[in-house]
Amino acid sequence: MKHGLKSLALVALIGSSTAFAGGHGKSAAALIEEATAGYKQVSKETTYQWTTTVKVIKAAQKALDGGNEAEAKKLAQQALDLVEATRQQAQVESQNWKMRVPK
Amino acid sequence: MKKIIRNVAFGLVGLSVSAASVAGPEEDRQAFRKFYENRFPQVQPIGDFQNGVYSILPAAREQWESIEEFPPYELAIEEGEKIFNKTFANGKSLKDCFGEDGAVREQYPHWNKERGMVMTMELAINECLEANGEKPLKYKKGAMAAVSAYMAYNSRGQVINVEIPSDDPRALAAYEDGKEHFYTKRGQLNFACADCHMHTSGMNYRSETVSPAFGHPTNWPVYRAKWQEMGTLHRRFAGCHDNIRANPFKAQGEEYRNLEYFISYMSNGLEFNGPAARK
Repeated sequence: MKHGLKSLALVALIGSSTAFAGGHGKSAAALIEEATAGYKQVSKETTYQWTTTVKVIKAAQKALDGGNEAEAKKLAQQALDLVEATRQQAQVESQNWKMRVPK
Repeated sequence: MKKIIRNVAFGLVGLSVSAASVAGPEEDRQAFRKFYENRFPQVQPIGDFQNGVYSILPAAREQWESIEEFPPYELAIEEGEKIFNKTFANGKSLKDCFGEDGAVREQYPHWNKERGMVMTMELAINECLEANGEKPLKYKKGAMAAVSAYMAYNSRGQVINVEIPSDDPRALAAYEDGKEHFYTKRGQLNFACADCHMHTSGMNYRSETVSPAFGHPTNWPVYRAKWQEMGTLHRRFAGCHDNIRANPFKAQGEEYRNLEYFISYMSNGLEFNGPAARK
Protein backbone atom coordinates (compact mmCIF):
# COMPACT_ATOMS: atom_id res chain seq x y z
CA MET A 1 0.00 0.00 0.00
CA LYS A 2 2.85 2.32 0.94
CA HIS A 3 4.54 1.56 -2.39
CA GLY A 4 1.28 2.27 -4.17
CA LEU A 5 1.02 5.71 -2.57
CA LYS A 6 4.65 6.48 -3.36
CA SER A 7 4.13 5.54 -6.99
CA LEU A 8 1.01 7.65 -7.14
CA ALA A 9 2.84 10.65 -5.69
CA LEU A 10 5.68 10.14 -8.18
CA VAL A 11 3.28 9.98 -11.09
CA ALA A 12 1.53 13.13 -9.85
CA LEU A 13 4.88 14.90 -9.52
CA ILE A 14 5.99 13.92 -13.00
CA GLY A 15 2.57 14.86 -14.32
CA SER A 16 2.75 18.33 -12.76
CA SER A 17 6.31 18.83 -14.01
CA THR A 18 5.17 17.87 -17.46
CA ALA A 19 2.29 20.29 -17.17
CA PHE A 20 4.64 23.12 -16.23
CA ALA A 21 7.05 22.22 -18.98
CA GLY A 22 4.23 22.02 -21.47
CA GLY A 23 5.51 25.02 -23.37
CA HIS A 24 8.37 23.19 -25.08
CA GLY A 25 6.70 23.17 -28.48
CA LYS A 26 5.69 26.83 -28.34
CA SER A 27 7.57 29.86 -29.52
CA ALA A 28 9.08 32.31 -27.05
CA ALA A 29 6.57 34.95 -28.15
CA ALA A 30 3.66 32.61 -27.42
CA LEU A 31 5.07 31.70 -24.01
CA ILE A 32 5.59 35.37 -23.11
CA GLU A 33 2.02 36.10 -24.13
CA GLU A 34 0.80 33.17 -22.04
CA ALA A 35 2.80 34.31 -18.99
CA THR A 36 1.54 37.89 -19.34
CA ALA A 37 -2.07 36.72 -19.64
CA GLY A 38 -1.62 34.39 -16.65
CA TYR A 39 -0.15 37.19 -14.55
CA LYS A 40 -3.05 39.48 -15.40
CA GLN A 41 -5.55 36.75 -14.65
CA VAL A 42 -4.07 36.06 -11.18
CA SER A 43 -3.99 39.82 -10.53
CA LYS A 44 -7.65 40.05 -11.45
CA GLU A 45 -8.75 37.09 -9.36
CA THR A 46 -6.59 37.61 -6.26
CA THR A 47 -4.59 40.26 -4.39
CA TYR A 48 -1.42 38.22 -4.79
CA GLN A 49 1.13 39.50 -7.26
CA TRP A 50 4.87 38.99 -7.17
CA THR A 51 7.27 41.69 -8.24
CA THR A 52 9.59 39.06 -9.70
CA THR A 53 7.07 37.81 -12.26
CA VAL A 54 6.91 41.10 -14.15
CA LYS A 55 10.69 41.41 -14.07
CA VAL A 56 11.12 37.94 -15.59
CA ILE A 57 8.49 38.62 -18.27
CA LYS A 58 10.31 41.84 -19.18
CA ALA A 59 13.65 40.00 -19.28
CA ALA A 60 12.12 37.36 -21.57
CA GLN A 61 10.80 40.07 -23.89
CA LYS A 62 14.20 41.76 -23.91
CA ALA A 63 15.92 38.48 -24.79
CA LEU A 64 13.42 37.90 -27.61
CA ASP A 65 13.90 41.43 -28.93
CA GLY A 66 17.64 40.79 -28.87
CA GLY A 67 17.16 37.68 -31.01
CA ASN A 68 17.93 35.17 -28.25
CA GLU A 69 14.99 32.79 -28.68
CA ALA A 70 16.36 30.08 -26.37
CA GLU A 71 16.97 32.47 -23.49
CA ALA A 72 13.57 34.11 -24.06
CA LYS A 73 11.86 30.70 -23.92
CA LYS A 74 13.69 29.79 -20.73
CA LEU A 75 12.69 33.03 -19.04
CA ALA A 76 9.10 32.89 -20.28
CA GLN A 77 8.80 29.37 -18.87
CA GLN A 78 10.19 30.66 -15.59
CA ALA A 79 7.56 33.42 -15.60
CA LEU A 80 4.84 30.84 -16.20
CA ASP A 81 6.08 28.85 -13.20
CA LEU A 82 6.02 32.02 -11.08
CA VAL A 83 2.44 32.73 -12.15
CA GLU A 84 1.44 29.18 -11.20
CA ALA A 85 3.21 29.45 -7.83
CA THR A 86 1.41 32.74 -7.13
CA ARG A 87 -1.91 31.14 -7.97
CA GLN A 88 -1.17 28.26 -5.61
CA GLN A 89 -0.07 30.62 -2.83
CA ALA A 90 -3.37 32.47 -3.11
CA GLN A 91 -5.28 29.22 -2.96
CA VAL A 92 -3.40 27.77 0.00
CA GLU A 93 -3.29 31.00 1.99
CA SER A 94 -7.02 31.61 1.70
CA GLN A 95 -7.34 29.08 4.56
CA ASN A 96 -3.87 28.60 6.03
CA TRP A 97 -3.55 32.12 7.48
CA LYS A 98 -6.01 31.16 10.19
CA MET A 99 -3.53 28.70 11.68
CA ARG A 100 -1.12 31.55 12.50
CA VAL A 101 -3.54 33.49 14.69
CA PRO A 102 -2.50 33.06 18.33
CA LYS A 103 -5.13 31.69 20.66
CA MET B 1 -6.53 2.66 14.85
CA LYS B 2 -3.95 4.87 13.18
CA LYS B 3 -6.64 6.07 10.82
CA ILE B 4 -8.92 7.01 13.74
CA ILE B 5 -6.10 8.93 15.46
CA ARG B 6 -5.32 10.74 12.21
CA ASN B 7 -8.97 11.67 11.70
CA VAL B 8 -9.27 12.92 15.27
CA ALA B 9 -6.08 14.95 14.82
CA PHE B 10 -7.38 16.47 11.61
CA GLY B 11 -10.65 17.25 13.37
CA LEU B 12 -8.82 19.02 16.18
CA VAL B 13 -6.75 21.05 13.73
CA GLY B 14 -9.96 21.96 11.94
CA LEU B 15 -11.60 23.00 15.19
CA SER B 16 -8.64 25.12 16.26
CA VAL B 17 -8.57 26.81 12.85
CA SER B 18 -12.29 27.53 13.13
CA ALA B 19 -11.84 28.85 16.66
CA ALA B 20 -9.05 31.15 15.50
CA SER B 21 -11.13 32.53 12.70
CA VAL B 22 -14.25 33.13 14.78
CA ALA B 23 -12.55 34.70 17.83
CA GLY B 24 -13.71 38.28 18.37
CA PRO B 25 -11.42 41.31 18.23
CA GLU B 26 -11.04 41.52 22.00
CA GLU B 27 -10.06 37.84 22.29
CA ASP B 28 -7.63 38.42 19.42
CA ARG B 29 -6.12 41.41 21.18
CA GLN B 30 -5.68 39.61 24.49
CA ALA B 31 -4.00 36.66 22.77
CA PHE B 32 -1.81 39.01 20.71
CA ARG B 33 -0.66 40.93 23.76
CA LYS B 34 -0.07 37.74 25.74
CA PHE B 35 2.07 36.40 22.93
CA TYR B 36 4.48 39.34 23.24
CA GLU B 37 4.39 39.35 27.03
CA ASN B 38 5.49 35.71 26.99
CA ARG B 39 8.06 36.22 24.24
CA PHE B 40 9.67 39.30 25.79
CA PRO B 41 9.09 39.09 29.57
CA GLN B 42 11.99 41.53 30.04
CA VAL B 43 9.96 44.39 28.54
CA GLN B 44 8.63 46.17 31.61
CA PRO B 45 6.31 47.97 31.86
CA ILE B 46 4.28 46.60 28.95
CA GLY B 47 3.86 50.13 27.60
CA ASP B 48 7.53 50.14 26.64
CA PHE B 49 6.61 48.18 23.50
CA GLN B 50 5.79 51.61 22.06
CA ASN B 51 9.54 51.96 21.46
CA GLY B 52 9.56 49.20 18.86
CA VAL B 53 12.72 47.17 18.47
CA TYR B 54 14.45 49.33 21.10
CA SER B 55 12.16 47.89 23.75
CA ILE B 56 13.91 44.53 23.30
CA LEU B 57 17.49 45.61 22.49
CA PRO B 58 19.16 47.39 25.42
CA ALA B 59 22.43 48.15 23.56
CA ALA B 60 20.72 49.60 20.49
CA ARG B 61 18.40 51.53 22.77
CA GLU B 62 21.28 53.52 24.21
CA GLN B 63 22.34 54.62 20.73
CA TRP B 64 18.76 55.41 19.79
CA GLU B 65 18.27 57.51 22.91
CA SER B 66 21.38 59.50 21.99
CA ILE B 67 19.91 60.09 18.52
CA GLU B 68 16.66 61.21 20.10
CA GLU B 69 18.52 64.01 21.93
CA PHE B 70 19.00 65.76 18.56
CA PRO B 71 16.30 63.99 16.56
CA PRO B 72 16.58 63.89 12.78
CA TYR B 73 12.81 64.46 12.46
CA GLU B 74 12.99 67.91 14.07
CA LEU B 75 13.12 69.71 10.72
CA ALA B 76 10.09 67.76 9.54
CA ILE B 77 8.11 68.94 12.58
CA GLU B 78 9.02 72.55 11.78
CA GLU B 79 8.07 72.11 8.12
CA GLY B 80 4.85 70.39 9.17
CA GLU B 81 3.96 73.27 11.46
CA LYS B 82 4.30 75.72 8.56
CA ILE B 83 2.09 73.58 6.34
CA PHE B 84 -0.42 73.15 9.15
CA ASN B 85 -0.69 76.90 9.75
CA LYS B 86 -0.59 77.94 6.10
CA THR B 87 -3.70 79.80 5.01
CA PHE B 88 -5.53 78.24 2.05
CA ALA B 89 -6.74 80.28 -0.90
CA ASN B 90 -10.20 80.32 0.69
CA GLY B 91 -8.84 81.81 3.92
CA LYS B 92 -9.09 78.61 5.94
CA SER B 93 -6.32 76.23 7.02
CA LEU B 94 -5.78 72.71 8.39
CA LYS B 95 -6.63 74.21 11.79
CA ASP B 96 -10.24 74.42 10.65
CA CYS B 97 -10.30 70.65 10.30
CA PHE B 98 -8.03 69.53 13.15
CA GLY B 99 -8.10 72.27 15.79
CA GLU B 100 -5.49 74.79 16.83
CA ASP B 101 -2.53 72.39 17.19
CA GLY B 102 -3.70 69.29 15.30
CA ALA B 103 -3.33 67.03 18.35
CA VAL B 104 -5.83 64.50 17.07
CA ARG B 105 -3.68 61.38 16.64
CA GLU B 106 -5.83 59.39 19.07
CA GLN B 107 -8.85 59.83 16.80
CA TYR B 108 -7.26 57.71 14.06
CA PRO B 109 -7.70 55.20 12.66
CA HIS B 110 -11.44 55.01 13.20
CA TRP B 111 -14.46 53.48 11.54
CA ASN B 112 -16.55 55.97 9.59
CA LYS B 113 -20.07 54.57 9.62
CA GLU B 114 -21.52 57.01 7.10
CA ARG B 115 -18.92 56.14 4.51
CA GLY B 116 -18.47 52.52 5.53
CA MET B 117 -14.68 52.72 5.64
CA VAL B 118 -11.64 53.09 7.88
CA MET B 119 -10.42 56.66 8.17
CA THR B 120 -6.74 57.34 8.80
CA MET B 121 -5.11 60.62 9.76
CA GLU B 122 -3.26 61.00 6.47
CA LEU B 123 -6.45 60.41 4.50
CA ALA B 124 -8.26 62.98 6.64
CA ILE B 125 -5.48 65.53 6.01
CA ASN B 126 -5.85 65.16 2.26
CA GLU B 127 -9.63 65.26 2.43
CA CYS B 128 -9.38 68.51 4.39
CA LEU B 129 -7.07 69.97 1.76
CA GLU B 130 -9.30 68.90 -1.12
CA ALA B 131 -12.48 70.08 0.59
CA ASN B 132 -10.87 73.51 0.77
CA GLY B 133 -9.79 73.58 -2.85
CA GLU B 134 -6.15 72.67 -2.17
CA LYS B 135 -4.06 70.01 -3.89
CA PRO B 136 -3.76 66.69 -2.02
CA LEU B 137 -0.32 65.57 -0.81
CA LYS B 138 1.50 62.37 -1.75
CA TYR B 139 0.92 59.81 0.96
CA LYS B 140 4.29 58.21 1.58
CA LYS B 141 6.75 61.03 2.31
CA GLY B 142 7.53 64.71 1.91
CA ALA B 143 4.94 67.27 2.97
CA MET B 144 2.46 64.61 4.14
CA ALA B 145 5.05 63.00 6.41
CA ALA B 146 5.97 66.49 7.71
CA VAL B 147 2.46 67.60 8.60
CA SER B 148 1.73 64.17 10.06
CA ALA B 149 4.94 64.49 12.14
CA TYR B 150 3.80 67.86 13.49
CA MET B 151 0.37 66.51 14.42
CA ALA B 152 1.85 63.33 15.93
CA TYR B 153 4.33 65.37 17.95
CA ASN B 154 1.54 67.48 19.42
CA SER B 155 -0.38 64.28 20.18
CA ARG B 156 2.40 62.55 22.12
CA GLY B 157 1.06 60.80 25.19
CA GLN B 158 -2.36 60.15 23.73
CA VAL B 159 -3.40 56.52 23.95
CA ILE B 160 -4.42 54.21 21.12
CA ASN B 161 -8.06 53.39 21.60
CA VAL B 162 -9.39 51.97 18.36
CA GLU B 163 -13.00 50.85 18.48
CA ILE B 164 -14.81 48.34 16.31
CA PRO B 165 -18.44 49.40 16.62
CA SER B 166 -20.67 46.40 17.20
CA ASP B 167 -23.62 48.02 15.45
CA ASP B 168 -21.94 47.95 12.04
CA PRO B 169 -20.85 44.54 10.70
CA ARG B 170 -18.81 46.31 8.01
CA ALA B 171 -16.42 47.55 10.71
CA LEU B 172 -15.80 44.01 11.89
CA ALA B 173 -15.35 42.94 8.26
CA ALA B 174 -12.70 45.65 7.79
CA TYR B 175 -10.95 44.48 10.96
CA GLU B 176 -11.08 40.84 9.79
CA ASP B 177 -9.70 41.90 6.42
CA GLY B 178 -6.74 43.58 8.13
CA LYS B 179 -6.27 40.55 10.36
CA GLU B 180 -6.24 38.19 7.38
CA HIS B 181 -3.69 40.40 5.68
CA PHE B 182 -1.42 40.36 8.74
CA TYR B 183 -1.35 36.57 8.97
CA THR B 184 -1.28 35.79 5.23
CA LYS B 185 1.92 34.81 3.45
CA ARG B 186 2.61 36.81 0.32
CA GLY B 187 5.29 37.39 -2.27
CA GLN B 188 7.88 35.06 -3.71
CA LEU B 189 9.57 34.80 -0.31
CA ASN B 190 6.27 33.53 1.13
CA PHE B 191 6.27 35.71 4.24
CA ALA B 192 3.37 37.03 6.31
CA CYS B 193 3.65 40.17 8.46
CA ALA B 194 3.26 37.73 11.37
CA ASP B 195 6.18 35.57 10.23
CA CYS B 196 8.66 38.39 10.78
CA HIS B 197 7.06 40.60 13.40
CA MET B 198 5.47 37.92 15.52
CA HIS B 199 6.91 34.43 15.15
CA THR B 200 10.52 35.53 14.54
CA SER B 201 10.39 38.90 16.32
CA GLY B 202 13.55 39.49 18.29
CA MET B 203 15.56 37.28 15.92
CA ASN B 204 18.03 38.53 13.34
CA TYR B 205 17.61 38.74 9.58
CA ARG B 206 21.18 39.34 8.53
CA SER B 207 22.33 42.13 10.86
CA GLU B 208 18.89 43.49 11.74
CA THR B 209 16.73 42.43 14.67
CA VAL B 210 13.07 42.10 13.76
CA SER B 211 10.76 44.33 15.77
CA PRO B 212 7.64 43.10 17.57
CA ALA B 213 4.34 44.06 15.93
CA PHE B 214 2.89 44.97 19.30
CA GLY B 215 3.57 48.72 19.37
CA HIS B 216 4.16 49.06 15.63
CA PRO B 217 1.60 51.84 14.97
CA THR B 218 2.63 54.12 17.85
CA ASN B 219 5.55 56.08 16.44
CA TRP B 220 4.69 57.21 12.90
CA PRO B 221 5.81 58.96 10.82
CA VAL B 222 9.49 58.09 11.24
CA TYR B 223 12.82 59.35 10.04
CA ARG B 224 14.53 56.21 8.76
CA ALA B 225 18.30 56.16 8.31
CA LYS B 226 17.79 53.83 5.34
CA TRP B 227 15.53 56.38 3.66
CA GLN B 228 17.51 59.43 4.82
CA GLU B 229 14.13 61.14 5.17
CA MET B 230 10.71 60.88 6.72
CA GLY B 231 8.13 58.31 5.73
CA THR B 232 4.62 57.28 6.72
CA LEU B 233 3.34 53.96 8.00
CA HIS B 234 1.94 53.06 4.58
CA ARG B 235 5.33 53.71 3.03
CA ARG B 236 6.73 51.13 5.43
CA PHE B 237 3.96 48.66 4.59
CA ALA B 238 4.84 49.04 0.92
CA GLY B 239 8.55 48.63 1.69
CA CYS B 240 7.88 45.39 3.57
CA HIS B 241 5.88 44.01 0.67
CA ASP B 242 8.63 44.95 -1.73
CA ASN B 243 11.16 43.17 0.50
CA ILE B 244 9.23 39.91 0.29
CA ARG B 245 8.81 40.39 -3.48
CA ALA B 246 5.08 41.02 -3.32
CA ASN B 247 3.54 43.89 -5.26
CA PRO B 248 2.82 46.66 -2.73
CA PHE B 249 -0.73 47.97 -2.41
CA LYS B 250 -1.71 51.58 -2.89
CA ALA B 251 -0.92 53.86 0.07
CA GLN B 252 -4.20 54.77 1.79
CA GLY B 253 -6.04 52.20 -0.30
CA GLU B 254 -8.52 49.90 1.44
CA GLU B 255 -6.01 47.06 1.96
CA TYR B 256 -3.50 49.15 3.94
CA ARG B 257 -6.15 51.15 5.82
CA ASN B 258 -7.70 47.90 7.04
CA LEU B 259 -4.26 46.59 7.99
CA GLU B 260 -3.64 49.79 9.97
CA TYR B 261 -7.03 49.35 11.63
CA PHE B 262 -6.12 45.81 12.73
CA ILE B 263 -2.58 46.49 13.99
CA SER B 264 -3.72 49.64 15.79
CA TYR B 265 -6.50 47.71 17.53
CA MET B 266 -3.92 45.11 18.58
CA SER B 267 -1.87 47.90 20.18
CA ASN B 268 -4.79 49.49 22.03
CA GLY B 269 -3.64 50.91 25.35
CA LEU B 270 -0.16 51.92 24.17
CA GLU B 271 0.80 55.58 23.86
CA PHE B 272 1.40 57.41 20.63
CA ASN B 273 5.01 58.66 20.68
CA GLY B 274 5.65 59.70 17.11
CA PRO B 275 7.47 60.96 15.23
CA ALA B 276 10.49 58.75 15.83
CA ALA B 277 13.91 57.84 14.49
CA ARG B 278 14.53 54.35 13.17
CA LYS B 279 17.29 52.51 11.35
